[in-house]
Amino acid sequence: MAVPSTTQTAPGTAEGPVIEVRNLGIEFQQNRKRRLSVREMLFTGRSSSPAGTFWALKDVSFDVSAGEGVGLIGANGCGKSTLLRLVAGVMLPDTGTVTVRQGVAPLIELTGGFLGDLTARDNIYLTAGLHGLSREQVEERFDEIVDFAEVRDRLDTPFRHYSSGMQVRLGFAVVTTLDEPVILVDEVLAVGDRAFREKCYTRMEELIGAGRTLLFVSHSEKDLKRFCTRGIYLRKGEVVADGGIEESFKAYVKDSDKASGK
Amino acid sequence: MLMLDRGRELVERRRILWLLVVRDLKVRYSSSALGYVWTILDPLMMALVYWLVFGFIFDGSKRGIQPYILFLVVGVLAWQWFNGGVMDTTRALQQESKLVRSTNLPREIWVVKIVLAKGAEFLFSLPVIVLFMIRYRTPPTWDTLWALPAALVLQAVLITGIGLALSAVTVLVTDMQRVVRILLRVLFYLTPVVYSIHVLPHAFLRDVMAVNPMTGVIDLYRRCVFPSTELGWHVPAISAVVTLVIFLLGSALFRRLEPAVLKEL
Repeated sequence: MAVPSTTQTAPGTAEGPVIEVRNLGIEFQQNRKRRLSVREMLFTGRSSSPAGTFWALKDVSFDVSAGEGVGLIGANGCGKSTLLRLVAGVMLPDTGTVTVRQGVAPLIELTGGFLGDLTARDNIYLTAGLHGLSREQVEERFDEIVDFAEVRDRLDTPFRHYSSGMQVRLGFAVVTTLDEPVILVDEVLAVGDRAFREKCYTRMEELIGAGRTLLFVSHSEKDLKRFCTRGIYLRKGEVVADGGIEESFKAYVKDSDKASGK
Repeated sequence: MLMLDRGRELVERRRILWLLVVRDLKVRYSSSALGYVWTILDPLMMALVYWLVFGFIFDGSKRGIQPYILFLVVGVLAWQWFNGGVMDTTRALQQESKLVRSTNLPREIWVVKIVLAKGAEFLFSLPVIVLFMIRYRTPPTWDTLWALPAALVLQAVLITGIGLALSAVTVLVTDMQRVVRILLRVLFYLTPVVYSIHVLPHAFLRDVMAVNPMTGVIDLYRRCVFPSTELGWHVPAISAVVTLVIFLLGSALFRRLEPAVLKEL
């Protein structure tokens, strides 16, 4: 059996699907027992209380090819966000493999890189740098980022004085200026006021139009149909439907109607 | 081999590492009014207290090398890097949990950047030692040329090793932070900071002390200021070996706990 792994190869080095997910599984502890059994883990390498665990994802396999827009559909807690994190490489699988063959721009926890004590200007350089841009590249895009987030008159204000909506706007502006060909979006579009949301949509459409690959988590039918051509429906960590966005969404609606009808 | 891979990844990302170190220092110095003064004031006050207690009240000046205050300052500053580094790396992953969860960098970077930022603060505080050396007309020894870089590298590797182990374990066992705080306090007195390793009567006891890697590190720093004594090189040598073992164990433990840690963050 293959060793569980997450591989992110340098852009343009290999052929095949951009994202390759094989037999992916990840197991979580249901209770807080893990914290007690650490000593056990150190010596045996595993915890001995299997009763308290559940598989957030089980035997998930799919390929995404370049330029595809894929929506992840499912009820709360079905493993969508976990799957996105595994693809982003910020979580490690217990079974199976994730291979991502191109660079990734993760729109997950957008404001995570920002520091309240520094000014917005410093924060832009920092966050863009963390995602791999050099100082010159940031300078080149600085105006674009600032204009998009509409924060020009507040550039030298400490970041903690920003409203939460403005923080997210800045985060979105920075991450979407990255040149990475794969974009992962985790329900971040729901924030911000109406005008800004529309702006985000336009930016997303531009990115997709430019041939970026998109993996998209959302509960909004409208958003899913707008950006995605393909849908993967997850139920309790397993892939139930993988096909056109319409069909997959229909399967999801049918399931949730059945559940609420009971 | 995996460890080499991780090391290479970190080297490739050195620009990001540098960015994080600068960020830490920026936050440290921009969020307090006195900024740099704290970097030197804190250890200076501690040195002063030890000087009063152990130099006057107990009159233990024979237990160190003269001038005792200079002897203390060297030890206390080095200890402060160790103490601050270990305390902060313990919380490294939790403190940056949002970043750990949203950027795909080699996770070791969150520990290494703290070690380097604290190390930079230590370097910034070195002028204090120079001032004391001028005051007491103590020129640096020739050993400085290699003992100083060796001590810096050894200490950085040591804190990284300990930090890798503790940062991962702390995410899973939250009590760890309190345990570490107590252990550090005990370790302070087991390390020759306020006294010299020379006061130990037997060579064997000195070797036992050298198992604590900070003994060798501080010994190396002191060789830069005080002419070398009859002591050989085996104290730093033992400490270097122990440091290497700690580093390897720490990295292995970090890798082993990584998947579980990422789930808990």
